[in-house]
Amino acid sequence: MSAKKLKCREIAEHVCAELDEGMNSAKCRAIRRHLETCPNCASYLNSLKTTVKLYRAYPAPALSARRRKALFEVIRHSGKESAESRKKSQSKCG
Amino acid sequence: MKKGATTTARISSAADDAQLIALAQAGNEQAFTVLVRRYEDVVFRFAFKVCRDRDKAEEAWQDTFVNVFRKLNQFDGKSKFSTWLYTIVTNNCLMKRRKRKLDDAIVPLELPDGFRDEPMQDSNGRPIQTIASWKETPLHSVMDTELRHTLDRAIEKLPYDYRIVFLLRDVEGNSAEETAKILHLSVPAVKSRLRRARVFLRERLNEYMTS
Ligand SMILES: [Zn+2]
Repeated sequence: MSAKKLKCREIAEHVCAELDEGMNSAKCRAIRRHLETCPNCASYLNSLKTTVKLYRAYPAPALSARRRKALFEVIRHSGKESAESRKKSQSKCG
Repeated sequence: MKKGATTTARISSAADDAQLIALAQAGNEQAFTVLVRRYEDVVFRFAFKVCRDRDKAEEAWQDTFVNVFRKLNQFDGKSKFSTWLYTIVTNNCLMKRRKRKLDDAIVPLELPDGFRDEPMQDSNGRPIQTIASWKETPLHSVMDTELRHTLDRAIEKLPYDYRIVFLLRDVEGNSAEETAKILHLSVPAVKSRLRRARVFLRERLNEYMTS
């Protein structure tokens, strides 16, 4: 990798794939050197990182209390059902 | 469920997943409740981001924990509990979705036009920047309506197969291996979709972020 001069497009594809993994490996030293001197690749890498950061920070609403209650009602009900069906099948056998 | 187990001892909320799962598998309702509490927000936020609709996300959330309750005995502990949970919620979201035409589209890996083989240089040999820098965006700016709409529009256009990989890997922080397991894909397939998803979203935010 060191003998061959890296082109920006290759760098861009590589930093995109390895956004958060492997950028510290020995193989990536040439890329990091390139990033230090190339404003385009540096800017591109930053924009990819920002993209991920923004979606991570994107707020989602909270679950409604009504829904949480509904879950436990369904579960209690299905618990009873399976207990009853167990009883029935046992009495059939007996 | 056995009644006795719930009343004998209070279950610490600090109990680890494996302990809670073992107790819940033995019929301890309280352990199951603690497990739900621990993961309910993670599952709901994820479902909301996938479904992009509150009602559908709530339905997918409920279906997920009903499935967990019914199938907990099938969980063998070989993978992380969260990986198993993501698999179930992903399937439930998939069932709630109305398939769109664009979901069949293949997303190309499109790099911006500003890239050349090497940066252009000015008369002093200094590189000229042809890929514009993005403006500074503090994280609380995600609350700004305009930015949120931009983020919404971009991810809504991203075909579902790519969106789900981006959310599982980059937003939820699952590893490439875990994401592959959840989606029954190979690791290279996950990586390829992830790259394309990142580039796709980046391109669609670019105008807003450079204006
Ligand atoms: Zn470059």
